[in-house]
Amino acid sequence: MSDVIVRGRDFTAYRIGGAIAAALLFAALLWQTYEIFDGDAMTVPETSWTAVNDGEGSGENAVLADDILVARTRLLDERFKTGPSPEEPGFAAQAGQTLVEEPIDGYSKALPEAWMTGDAEMLRMLRPGQRTEGLSSLPYVNAALFERPEGRDWRLGMADFITHLGALVILGFAFLLALLLAIRGRVPIAEGRARTKVKRFGFLERATHWMTATSFIGLALTGIVIAYGETLILPFGGDLLGQAGWIATWGHAVCFPPFAFGILIMGIMWVGRNIPDRLDWIWLKNGGGLFSDEGPNPPAKKFNAGQKLIFWSAMLGGILMVGTGVMLMFPFFFLGLEAQAWVMLGHATVATFLIAIFIGHIYIGTVGMQGAIDAMWSGRVDRNWAKEHHELWLKDIEKEETAR
Amino acid sequence: MARLKFLCDADRCIECNACATVCKNEHEVPWGMVRRRVVTINDGETDERSVAVSCMHCTDAPCVAVCPTSTLYQTDLGIVLHDKDNCIGCGYCFYACPFGAPQFPEATLMGSRGKMDKCTYCAGGPEENGSEAEFKKYGRNRIAEGKLPICAEVCSTRALLAGDGDVVGEIYRERVIHRGYGSGAWGWKTAYYPDEKS
Repeated sequence: MSDVIVRGRDFTAYRIGGAIAAALLFAALLWQTYEIFDGDAMTVPETSWTAVNDGEGSGENAVLADDILVARTRLLDERFKTGPSPEEPGFAAQAGQTLVEEPIDGYSKALPEAWMTGDAEMLRMLRPGQRTEGLSSLPYVNAALFERPEGRDWRLGMADFITHLGALVILGFAFLLALLLAIRGRVPIAEGRARTKVKRFGFLERATHWMTATSFIGLALTGIVIAYGETLILPFGGDLLGQAGWIATWGHAVCFPPFAFGILIMGIMWVGRNIPDRLDWIWLKNGGGLFSDEGPNPPAKKFNAGQKLIFWSAMLGGILMVGTGVMLMFPFFFLGLEAQAWVMLGHATVATFLIAIFIGHIYIGTVGMQGAIDAMWSGRVDRNWAKEHHELWLKDIEKEETAR
Repeated sequence: MARLKFLCDADRCIECNACATVCKNEHEVPWGMVRRRVVTINDGETDERSVAVSCMHCTDAPCVAVCPTSTLYQTDLGIVLHDKDNCIGCGYCFYACPFGAPQFPEATLMGSRGKMDKCTYCAGGPEENGSEAEFKKYGRNRIAEGKLPICAEVCSTRALLAGDGDVVGEIYRERVIHRGYGSGAWGWKTAYYPDEKS
């Protein structure tokens, strides 16, 4: 390899940007880790009932609200105990008296924790919680289901596991990339730009790539609104979250067809050049030459092992996402309730990993490597870039050029 | 502090479906959705039981925890309510619900199922109590008037009990002692005592 002229660490502005991003992402990671352990996963009451008197002006009275409802409950006892008339005064709110809800400030688990603890008498009368299905005279799907304790497991998987895991995976991987940029700088064209270009991707390839890319980003962002809206948008208002949620729901459906179509075309176009071979192993053993300006840059054909991994992530991940997504769009048509629920969890899990992987792809295609963006933007790459990263492919191209 | 619950005495329920019918009528629940339904277990066998089920207004409610748009919320009486304005019809609450309570107006709508509807314990929604807007979206608000859910108050055999959990439990236990048998409080373990071993 000839002398290194451009060095990764000389891209000062990029490295400062990387350092700032790394610091921000590190803070986000710390916050996310704190979120896992801060113990606010339990559902707690958000509003409180009190009885108010319209005319009297005697103020609010939570105890009275309780008394009214407890007295009313006693009416459901055996008739010989309650007496004949359930509409005697005193058994419901009086004229001018209503029960209203008021928001509760703060988060306290005291009430649900008290609700969850039963005395011995209460616990003795419980029937064991078990899946119970029977018959129903109603013609609706799942109407015959009485009880499925699995619902609580699904909630754990969704709200307490996947959501946090996904945030850790996405933020963690983005943090590592930012750190890489800060420390190592960009992957340079070590010999400097040759100023002559080689054609790498045709119009069809680039158009397909960008169609799939934009729709993927659309799917990712709308998905993030649905998965993380409570953290990211709710602080700015519940109505805003509702609006964003609707846009996300429809946006997710709109982005799906171009994504699925793009995956199909890309598969047909590129699968031949993405079959793994022995060169990939060498490339991976050398870390793709990613960490050093001096090389060695392991030899690669048109697609190196890293690009092949991206290709197969897009293919397998994309097929999984499209497959599970279609099943979710038609509830209970392909699958029963339990399968449907777990497919939803699978969809969310694969999604977070795909987002993390493609943050890596976007990184190396833009700020992470000098000259890489040209391949997909203009379709023509610098000859020295090709020589350093796709040696064998460039040799083939040059052979064709001389043959002509 | 009262904690409102539902208890259906499966040894008394005669599957008359009055609770389901009166609920639809009282709240003018749209076609295609039922807030309460009756399920018959072991139909035709000697141990056949019928049990009415709706939203149980669970403790540590899983639907509230998974809702991506904070549509669902719980009150200090235990009632789980929903805000239809923010619902996106994703169906997560249905996946998390141990009792199949959430109902949707659409089978599918390109990934959305329309705005969810479910039992409000006859307590309306976030709109002003007794307002036209509240009635249109959530039905009658009986709790505001100090009354309990109409499904229980209308039950001819008093199989379905609604109200403060302690009182309801007491009524049920005395009944079981009096008649000498009882198949237990159906669904209570999952709905109200998820962490208790029993």
